Amino acid sequence: MSLQLLFDAMALGGIYAVAALGIALIFGVMRLVNFAHGQFIACAVFALIVPSADALAVMGLGALPAPVLIPLILLIGAGLAVAAEALVFRPMRNASPVALMVSSFALGVALQNLLLVLYGGRPKAVSLWAELGHPVRIAGASVPLLQLIVVAAVVVVLAGLALMLRKTRLGLEMRAAAEDFTMARMLGVRSNRVISAAFALSGGLAAVVALVLVAQTGVADVRMGGQIMLVAFIATVVGGMGSLSGAVAAGLGIGAASALLQAGLPAEARPFRDAFLYGGVILVLLFRPQGLFAPVGAKPRV
Amino acid sequence: MPKLGVYDLAVRYGKLTAISDLSFAVAEGERVFISGPNGAGKSSLLSAIAGAVRAAHGRIEMDGEILSGLGPESIARRGLSMVPEGRRIFSGLTVLENLSVGTGMRNDRSAVAEDLEIAYTAFPILRERAKSPAGNLSGGQQQMLAIARALMTNPKVMLVDEPSLGLAPKVVDEVYDRLCQLQALRALTLVIVEQSSARAARVGGRMLLMRGGRIVADGDAASFAARDLLTEAYFGDAA
Repeated sequence: MSLQLLFDAMALGGIYAVAALGIALIFGVMRLVNFAHGQFIACAVFALIVPSADALAVMGLGALPAPVLIPLILLIGAGLAVAAEALVFRPMRNASPVALMVSSFALGVALQNLLLVLYGGRPKAVSLWAELGHPVRIAGASVPLLQLIVVAAVVVVLAGLALMLRKTRLGLEMRAAAEDFTMARMLGVRSNRVISAAFALSGGLAAVVALVLVAQTGVADVRMGGQIMLVAFIATVVGGMGSLSGAVAAGLGIGAASALLQAGLPAEARPFRDAFLYGGVILVLLFRPQGLFAPVGAKPRV
Repeated sequence: MPKLGVYDLAVRYGKLTAISDLSFAVAEGERVFISGPNGAGKSSLLSAIAGAVRAAHGRIEMDGEILSGLGPESIARRGLSMVPEGRRIFSGLTVLENLSVGTGMRNDRSAVAEDLEIAYTAFPILRERAKSPAGNLSGGQQQMLAIARALMTNPKVMLVDEPSLGLAPKVVDEVYDRLCQLQALRALTLVIVEQSSARAARVGGRMLLMRGGRIVADGDAASFAARDLLTEAYFGDAA
């Protein structure tokens, strides 16, 4: 297997893993499948450019130097998610999981239409960090610098999150709340703090995905969040709803399988790559309907 | 003023009434057992006091301050702690992490360290297993962890729901021994749900007998064993 293919597989899997983690974090603490997550990603993408209906995007925030731009976009993603929680989900705190899920759909549609109004429906060419497209040579293979950076960024994000969950007070409270929310509250854990933190982290992860997607594809499309949301949601189901490590593992697996199938399938079978991929997903779920890493305490709350 | 007061409490799940017109008061430092048949509303009563289920009617007070209507975290922060039915330990967290969840609201670091020492002294197995996942503990050890975890919140009032459930009699003896020691050491007010009135009589304290969501008798636990109030509570007035 070529090194190029290995990095393609790791980069795609890494993006899916980060997106799936954003969904699993929120599901973990409040049993909400947040279908607006894809639109969080799209909003973070469009935050880079100046609102206009032109085909060629004019960079707004995206023109800032990376050390300023990256934290700013992460903050925007986190802020959007926290605001969504406070305005949409908090008033329905005691509603059924199904009602919450439907509202997340509604929120997603509303955000997508807001983007349509501001930016129009045409996909836009966006040039973010174009210089990272240069190939670098490693062990005789040629790999775009961007792929290396994406893989490194994913590793840093995953390690940072794992460290935060293991070593900080907030992380401890989030893990306790994910296992048994009411019990954690009976030990003085503030539900609003934990839920806001989960949304902030999830929004930050959405922003990471947004930056990577734009840098890789050079396109801003109102619909771009929906597609990755679908794969990420499938990854959280395969990984076991509520299991963070399961979401990461399944995201990596699906991304890697997708890249490998793309390269390995005979040319005439390649258009059916997704059929092979999701056929595999169905097989996994047939044998383990609860997902690969079903966590404790993920049973629906009574 | 009682330490804990419950006045005209009603708890409903949809149309099902679990508790109605229930009132009682607990003095500071008292040990009160709540006994009665399955479905009498014992666990619902504790859950309502801890704020885990909302009261449909009535008032719950601690030190004269109204608790009913507050969220469970606010009630915990006022000094009421719960050892719930089924223990509900965080099985994916280590033993020490379980003990630490409830200390987030405390600012007194040295007192937290002292409490940890008290918990470890009362239950040495917890010190031994501090770094291992709580899910690997046996039932009795999990019960001890749940009690220690509640203690770490520095409570004034502790509610304990069926600590003897599913444990061997010898382990139950140990759990009650430690519970009584901790009560004396920390001047706790204890409310314990206990199915076995014989056990309650042996440990000693006051006993409330519940049936059909109400309190049907209130007195010294030791005196209950002798009387046929229990038979009456379990089998009805016709017995």
